Amino acid sequence: MHSVPDSPTSCGAMTSARRFPQSVYRHGDEPDARFTLANERTFLAWIRTALALMAAGVALEALGTGMHTGLRLAAALVLILAGIMTAAMAWYGWKRTERTLRLRKPLPAPPIGLPLTVIAVVVGVLVGLAMLLG
Amino acid sequence: MSSAVDDQLFDPGLQPERTALAWRRTGLSMIAATLIALRTVPQLLGAWTLVPLLGLVVAAVAATWMAHRRYRAHHARLTAGEGDRVPFSGGRLAALTAVVTLGLGAACLSFAVTRF
Repeated sequence: MHSVPDSPTSCGAMTSARRFPQSVYRHGDEPDARFTLANERTFLAWIRTALALMAAGVALEALGTGMHTGLRLAAALVLILAGIMTAAMAWYGWKRTERTLRLRKPLPAPPIGLPLTVIAVVVGVLVGLAMLLG
Repeated sequence: MSSAVDDQLFDPGLQPERTALAWRRTGLSMIAATLIALRTVPQLLGAWTLVPLLGLVVAAVAATWMAHRRYRAHHARLTAGEGDRVPFSGGRLAALTAVVTLGLGAACLSFAVTRF
Protein backbone atom coordinates (compact mmCIF):
# COMPACT_ATOMS: atom_id res chain seq x y z
CA MET A 1 0.00 0.00 0.00
CA HIS A 2 2.63 2.48 1.03
CA SER A 3 5.30 1.41 -1.37
CA VAL A 4 6.74 4.44 -3.10
CA PRO A 5 6.94 4.27 -6.87
CA ASP A 6 10.32 5.62 -7.88
CA SER A 7 9.75 6.73 -11.42
CA PRO A 8 13.00 8.29 -12.65
CA THR A 9 11.25 9.88 -15.62
CA SER A 10 8.88 12.06 -13.62
CA CYS A 11 10.91 13.58 -10.78
CA GLY A 12 14.39 12.16 -10.57
CA ALA A 13 15.53 14.71 -8.01
CA MET A 14 12.78 13.63 -5.63
CA THR A 15 13.65 9.97 -5.42
CA SER A 16 15.12 8.84 -2.16
CA ALA A 17 18.52 7.74 -3.40
CA ARG A 18 20.43 11.05 -3.37
CA ARG A 19 18.38 13.37 -1.22
CA PHE A 20 20.10 15.85 1.03
CA PRO A 21 20.79 15.53 3.93
CA GLN A 22 21.45 11.81 4.13
CA SER A 23 21.41 12.04 7.95
CA VAL A 24 17.63 12.44 7.47
CA TYR A 25 16.80 10.42 4.38
CA ARG A 26 18.76 7.26 5.08
CA HIS A 27 16.37 6.61 8.02
CA GLY A 28 12.83 5.27 7.86
CA ASP A 29 10.48 5.87 4.96
CA GLU A 30 8.13 8.52 3.63
CA PRO A 31 5.71 10.05 6.14
CA ASP A 32 2.34 11.52 5.19
CA ALA A 33 3.10 14.48 2.91
CA ARG A 34 1.08 16.73 5.26
CA PHE A 35 3.55 16.08 8.10
CA THR A 36 6.51 17.00 5.91
CA LEU A 37 4.73 20.17 4.82
CA ALA A 38 3.91 21.11 8.42
CA ASN A 39 7.55 20.55 9.42
CA GLU A 40 8.62 22.83 6.57
CA ARG A 41 6.26 25.58 7.73
CA THR A 42 7.59 25.30 11.29
CA PHE A 43 11.13 25.70 9.92
CA LEU A 44 10.06 28.77 7.95
CA ALA A 45 8.33 30.30 10.99
CA TRP A 46 11.60 29.93 12.97
CA ILE A 47 13.53 31.51 10.08
CA ARG A 48 11.20 34.51 10.14
CA THR A 49 11.59 34.68 13.92
CA ALA A 50 15.36 34.75 13.41
CA LEU A 51 15.04 37.54 10.82
CA ALA A 52 12.83 39.51 13.22
CA LEU A 53 15.33 39.14 16.08
CA MET A 54 18.18 40.34 13.87
CA ALA A 55 16.09 43.24 12.54
CA ALA A 56 15.22 44.24 16.11
CA GLY A 57 18.89 44.33 17.03
CA VAL A 58 19.81 46.45 14.01
CA ALA A 59 16.84 48.78 14.57
CA LEU A 60 17.81 49.27 18.21
CA GLU A 61 21.36 50.18 17.24
CA ALA A 62 20.27 52.42 14.34
CA LEU A 63 17.30 54.20 15.92
CA GLY A 64 17.87 54.02 19.68
CA THR A 65 19.10 57.56 20.16
CA GLY A 66 19.44 59.01 23.64
CA MET A 67 20.27 55.65 25.19
CA HIS A 68 23.35 54.55 27.10
CA THR A 69 25.50 53.43 24.16
CA GLY A 70 27.22 50.50 25.87
CA LEU A 71 24.00 48.96 27.16
CA ARG A 72 22.29 49.61 23.82
CA LEU A 73 25.05 47.78 21.98
CA ALA A 74 24.86 44.91 24.46
CA ALA A 75 21.10 44.57 23.90
CA ALA A 76 21.55 44.76 20.11
CA LEU A 77 24.27 42.11 20.16
CA VAL A 78 22.15 39.79 22.32
CA LEU A 79 19.24 40.17 19.87
CA ILE A 80 21.38 39.53 16.77
CA LEU A 81 23.17 36.55 18.35
CA ALA A 82 19.78 35.16 19.39
CA GLY A 83 18.70 35.50 15.74
CA ILE A 84 21.76 33.58 14.56
CA MET A 85 21.14 30.89 17.18
CA THR A 86 17.48 30.66 16.14
CA ALA A 87 18.40 30.24 12.46
CA ALA A 88 20.83 27.43 13.29
CA MET A 89 18.26 25.78 15.55
CA ALA A 90 15.64 26.04 12.77
CA TRP A 91 17.82 23.89 10.50
CA TYR A 92 18.73 21.32 13.15
CA GLY A 93 15.12 21.20 14.37
CA TRP A 94 13.86 20.62 10.83
CA LYS A 95 16.33 17.76 10.35
CA ARG A 96 15.49 16.19 13.68
CA THR A 97 11.73 16.43 13.16
CA GLU A 98 11.91 15.08 9.58
CA ARG A 99 14.00 12.12 10.76
CA THR A 100 11.57 11.50 13.61
CA LEU A 101 8.60 11.60 11.21
CA ARG A 102 10.31 9.09 8.94
CA LEU A 103 10.92 6.77 11.89
CA ARG A 104 7.31 7.15 13.16
CA LYS A 105 8.53 8.17 16.62
CA PRO A 106 7.12 10.75 19.07
CA LEU A 107 8.06 14.27 18.03
CA PRO A 108 10.74 16.15 19.98
CA ALA A 109 10.02 19.52 21.57
CA PRO A 110 11.70 22.62 20.17
CA PRO A 111 14.87 23.07 22.26
CA ILE A 112 14.96 26.86 22.12
CA GLY A 113 11.78 27.97 23.91
CA LEU A 114 13.30 28.55 27.35
CA PRO A 115 16.53 30.19 26.06
CA LEU A 116 14.48 32.61 23.94
CA THR A 117 12.34 33.55 26.95
CA VAL A 118 15.46 34.24 29.02
CA ILE A 119 16.90 36.30 26.14
CA ALA A 120 13.71 38.37 25.85
CA VAL A 121 13.89 39.17 29.59
CA VAL A 122 17.60 40.05 29.38
CA VAL A 123 17.01 42.33 26.37
CA GLY A 124 14.09 44.01 28.16
CA VAL A 125 16.25 44.70 31.23
CA LEU A 126 19.16 45.98 29.11
CA VAL A 127 16.93 48.33 27.07
CA GLY A 128 15.23 49.58 30.24
CA LEU A 129 18.60 50.32 31.87
CA ALA A 130 19.91 51.92 28.66
CA MET A 131 16.93 54.28 28.65
CA LEU A 132 17.25 55.11 32.35
CA LEU A 133 21.01 55.74 32.20
CA GLY A 134 21.05 57.37 28.75
CA MET B 1 -10.77 30.07 -17.30
CA SER B 2 -9.27 27.67 -14.83
CA SER B 3 -5.97 25.87 -15.13
CA ALA B 4 -5.30 22.30 -14.07
CA VAL B 5 -3.71 23.62 -10.88
CA ASP B 6 -6.94 25.32 -9.82
CA ASP B 7 -9.06 22.28 -10.54
CA GLN B 8 -7.29 19.72 -8.38
CA LEU B 9 -6.49 19.89 -4.68
CA PHE B 10 -4.41 17.35 -2.78
CA ASP B 11 -5.66 18.36 0.65
CA PRO B 12 -8.87 20.14 1.72
CA GLY B 13 -6.76 21.80 4.44
CA LEU B 14 -4.66 23.38 1.65
CA GLN B 15 -1.38 22.25 3.22
CA PRO B 16 0.77 22.58 0.05
CA GLU B 17 -0.73 26.01 -0.63
CA ARG B 18 -0.16 27.22 2.95
CA THR B 19 3.41 25.96 2.74
CA ALA B 20 3.92 27.76 -0.59
CA LEU B 21 2.67 31.00 0.98
CA ALA B 22 4.99 30.51 3.98
CA TRP B 23 7.91 30.12 1.58
CA ARG B 24 6.82 33.21 -0.31
CA ARG B 25 6.65 35.50 2.71
CA THR B 26 9.92 34.14 4.06
CA GLY B 27 11.56 34.57 0.64
CA LEU B 28 10.32 38.14 0.25
CA SER B 29 11.56 38.97 3.77
CA MET B 30 14.99 37.57 2.90
CA ILE B 31 15.12 39.49 -0.38
CA ALA B 32 14.21 42.74 1.38
CA ALA B 33 16.71 42.15 4.20
CA THR B 34 19.57 41.23 1.85
CA LEU B 35 18.88 44.32 -0.30
CA ILE B 36 18.99 46.55 2.81
CA ALA B 37 22.26 44.90 3.81
CA LEU B 38 23.64 45.48 0.30
CA ARG B 39 22.70 49.16 0.60
CA THR B 40 24.12 49.64 4.12
CA VAL B 41 27.08 47.41 4.93
CA PRO B 42 29.54 48.36 2.11
CA GLN B 43 29.47 51.99 3.33
CA LEU B 44 30.56 50.82 6.77
CA LEU B 45 32.97 47.99 6.00
CA GLY B 46 34.26 48.77 2.52
CA ALA B 47 33.55 47.79 -1.07
CA TRP B 48 34.85 44.22 -0.69
CA THR B 49 31.64 43.32 1.15
CA LEU B 50 29.67 43.90 -2.07
CA VAL B 51 30.66 40.47 -3.35
CA PRO B 52 29.32 38.33 -0.45
CA LEU B 53 26.30 40.62 -0.05
CA LEU B 54 25.41 40.33 -3.74
CA GLY B 55 25.75 36.58 -3.27
CA LEU B 56 23.19 36.77 -0.44
CA VAL B 57 20.73 38.75 -2.61
CA VAL B 58 21.09 36.25 -5.47
CA ALA B 59 20.68 33.33 -3.07
CA ALA B 60 17.53 34.88 -1.55
CA VAL B 61 15.99 35.40 -5.00
CA ALA B 62 17.01 31.89 -6.05
CA ALA B 63 15.49 30.36 -2.91
CA THR B 64 12.19 32.17 -3.50
CA TRP B 65 12.13 30.99 -7.11
CA MET B 66 13.09 27.42 -6.15
CA ALA B 67 10.30 27.37 -3.55
CA HIS B 68 7.80 28.33 -6.23
CA ARG B 69 9.05 25.60 -8.58
CA ARG B 70 8.98 23.16 -5.69
CA TYR B 71 5.33 23.87 -4.95
CA ARG B 72 4.40 23.24 -8.59
CA ALA B 73 6.34 19.96 -8.59
CA HIS B 74 4.89 18.79 -5.26
CA HIS B 75 1.39 19.74 -6.34
CA ALA B 76 1.75 17.79 -9.55
CA ARG B 77 2.92 14.67 -7.72
CA LEU B 78 0.43 14.93 -4.85
CA THR B 79 -2.55 15.24 -7.20
CA ALA B 80 -1.33 12.45 -9.49
CA GLY B 81 -2.98 9.79 -7.34
CA GLU B 82 0.20 8.22 -5.96
CA GLY B 83 -1.09 8.42 -2.38
CA ASP B 84 -0.12 10.50 0.65
CA ARG B 85 3.45 9.25 0.97
CA VAL B 86 5.04 10.77 -2.08
CA PRO B 87 8.76 11.40 -1.54
CA PHE B 88 9.52 15.10 -1.36
CA SER B 89 12.50 17.00 -2.71
CA GLY B 90 14.69 16.97 0.38
CA GLY B 91 16.41 19.66 2.42
CA ARG B 92 18.61 21.60 0.01
CA LEU B 93 16.25 24.56 -0.18
CA ALA B 94 15.86 24.68 3.60
CA ALA B 95 19.65 24.53 3.98
CA LEU B 96 20.07 27.40 1.51
CA THR B 97 17.46 29.41 3.44
CA ALA B 98 19.26 28.81 6.73
CA VAL B 99 22.60 29.81 5.17
CA VAL B 100 21.15 33.08 3.82
CA THR B 101 19.70 33.83 7.26
CA LEU B 102 23.05 33.14 8.94
CA GLY B 103 24.78 35.39 6.38
CA LEU B 104 22.32 38.13 7.21
CA GLY B 105 23.16 37.56 10.87
CA ALA B 106 26.84 38.17 10.12
CA ALA B 107 25.90 41.37 8.24
CA CYS B 108 23.79 42.53 11.21
CA LEU B 109 26.63 41.81 13.64
CA SER B 110 29.11 43.82 11.57
CA PHE B 111 26.59 46.69 11.35
CA ALA B 112 26.06 46.81 15.12
CA VAL B 113 29.76 46.58 15.97
CA THR B 114 30.97 49.18 13.44
CA ARG B 115 28.28 51.68 14.32
CA PHE B 116 29.27 51.63 17.96
